[in-house]
Amino acid sequence: MTVIETAPPEAVTAKNLSGDAYREAMRRWLRANLPADFRSDSAAFSPPTLQQSIAWEAAMYRAGLTGVTWSRAYGGHGRSLREHLIANQEIGALAMPESVNSIGKELAGPIILAVGSEEQKRGFLPAILEMRDIWCQGFSEPEAGSDLASLRTRATRTGDIWRINGQKIWTSGAYRSQRCLVLARTGPLEDRHRGLAMFAVRLDAEGVRVRTIKSIDGRESFCEVFFDEVEVLQSDALGAPDEGWAAAIRVLEIERATNRMYRAWRFENELRHLISACKTDPVLAQSVTEARYAAKLGEVVVDIEVLKAHVETVVDALVSGDRIGARGSLAKLHWSEAHQRFAALALELLAQASLPLLPAVKVAKRRFEAIYLQARAETIYAGTTEIQLGIIADRILQLSKGK
Amino acid sequence: MALTSKGLRPADFAATSERAVAACSDLGLQEQASLLANDGLLGVIAHEDVGGLDLPLAFATPVVAAANAGLLRFPLLETILLGDLLRQSLPRMAEAIVRGEVLATIAWQGSVVAEREGNSVVLNGCVARAPCAAEVDYALVRVGAEAAALIPTDAKGVVAEESAGLDLTLPEHGIRLVNAAIPDDSIFDDVWARLRSDANVLRAAAIFGSAEACLSLAQEHASTRRQFGHALSYNQAIRHALARQKLGLEGMRHAITRSLDATAGVLERDAAFLAASAYGTSISEGALQIHGGMGFTWDVPVHRHLRRIRSLQAQGDASGLIAALGRRYVAEIAPAAEAAAAQ
Repeated sequence: MTVIETAPPEAVTAKNLSGDAYREAMRRWLRANLPADFRSDSAAFSPPTLQQSIAWEAAMYRAGLTGVTWSRAYGGHGRSLREHLIANQEIGALAMPESVNSIGKELAGPIILAVGSEEQKRGFLPAILEMRDIWCQGFSEPEAGSDLASLRTRATRTGDIWRINGQKIWTSGAYRSQRCLVLARTGPLEDRHRGLAMFAVRLDAEGVRVRTIKSIDGRESFCEVFFDEVEVLQSDALGAPDEGWAAAIRVLEIERATNRMYRAWRFENELRHLISACKTDPVLAQSVTEARYAAKLGEVVVDIEVLKAHVETVVDALVSGDRIGARGSLAKLHWSEAHQRFAALALELLAQASLPLLPAVKVAKRRFEAIYLQARAETIYAGTTEIQLGIIADRILQLSKGK
Repeated sequence: MALTSKGLRPADFAATSERAVAACSDLGLQEQASLLANDGLLGVIAHEDVGGLDLPLAFATPVVAAANAGLLRFPLLETILLGDLLRQSLPRMAEAIVRGEVLATIAWQGSVVAEREGNSVVLNGCVARAPCAAEVDYALVRVGAEAAALIPTDAKGVVAEESAGLDLTLPEHGIRLVNAAIPDDSIFDDVWARLRSDANVLRAAAIFGSAEACLSLAQEHASTRRQFGHALSYNQAIRHALARQKLGLEGMRHAITRSLDATAGVLERDAAFLAASAYGTSISEGALQIHGGMGFTWDVPVHRHLRRIRSLQAQGDASGLIAALGRRYVAEIAPAAEAAAAQ
């Protein structure tokens, strides 16, 4: 299978398209170009290889579906956040594979835009969008998971060279990445949030070792990354020294609030798929209209509508110039738990299917078993549920912790 | 919300409503009506022809939210809707309601049967969940599936009966109709679906007002009540419980805002009410838990909010609506979206 790319949509060539016309152009392009075997709701589904994913995402970029809001000077399309939301709604509406470079496009990119030098922006950003550089995120460590401020990976500077020593873990996709966004300590451990710096480390540098970890879904996407006297040029340090924590906080706020903005619309795609599969099976077709399951499906619909409301509120806030701040935790907490509820319901329903399984039910079972397992990680990554609750208590409710 | 109309913003109405609700605390129903009418709150969405402000529904949401936050003892949601609904057929009645001269309510549960007899219509049946029906002049009852009728509560054959509702400050009544005759022009065809939809948005806002008050009370209690040498809020279990309540409150707020968008339809409106119903219940029950034994006393108002939220939930038939939404999604919404995606 190869990605067959038609001409870019009208929205890319006719820059003045916006609103519904922009949506229509993006929709047409996606429908015409997404390979059938990339769609996990299709009987022909076959997970794309890394090279196929890279080719597909590069094509999406050229079509105007990624890098939507980034400046044209750095390879972006220079459009508004509202158009970014539209693009995400159209991406979410189809059962397409997750990006292999979402860390680059949705974490590293925004942080480089925020704190990077002009040279870094011109160098790093187009390579991310064109899929020449895939990024991973080197924050968590064996002794610094949720308590990120206790991380021990150390960066010491000699002239224009930094030397990095330490270990990162839960580094999703490191094995396939060219760059790692590394948070490292430049001061003493007691400084906690102070004395942290951020680096764009090449993973082919001498002294870097990547080891994959098999995870709950049978895949080896998690990694440990070891840094042994890894030399990093000052030109690959992001932001001023000792401002790493502030940059990390900004990354995490962005991650919680805007990362994979398409989620509500993808959940809707999943719900439609579940229902259409159930309708092919006489037993399941009966179940979905019975009071018990009808009410549970209604709850999923409400969860999705509330998630859309969270996302649209974030977009409205950003468009009007507000910072997202701690509010990203609200959306993250909602979608991660809502998706787990939905995935559990899907498994429960599909477990009652008639035997032998009908083809559409088989496809749905395969998809929802994977979704169920992956969703268990969603209340852990990007800040666990407990961390999000703590952020809401501390920073939004400002509850007293003192005596 | 960025919505403005005639130079006004919905938020402008929140402060006015809070003041008016506070001033209503010791007044009878009729005096409350006069006071609320003087502040323009009864006719916020009613047409100018009948003395209203003719503003979008979004302007009524902070009004009912403030009313519930202050536990107003007046059928405000129903009055606001009737001032708008009756404008075409009974403009003088609409005007009297908007001016606070006539008191009216709506029975949200059940429907009656109507039969024509000459120029009159005769109604028979039982309806329920009509706030303050025993104290008002008129009640709107559902007729069949989609029609409604305005009946004088003192008419022959009309009996308002006490019912065992949870909300003691804004009591619900049942209404029994036995050969109750009303004029032909008091029957309105094809109004119930729209009325129910508007009511669900306002109910969501009313629940929001109560839920926000509950969270505020719980937060204050957790910050000032000391146990084991610390404020309650020192404990992670309490902090996380309050954080969950805040998550629910913000989900509710955003869903209501979304339901008021010009592009919003029945799905968004139902979702706002159902989200408010689920979150409002858990917030008020959670606030009761955080108050411990004190929450169980009559003096702490959390239980009054919980009672009101549960009544609003039942008036909107949340449990029936959530199953109906699921069925509608299976039968209509999902297939329509699939068909659109296939084009």
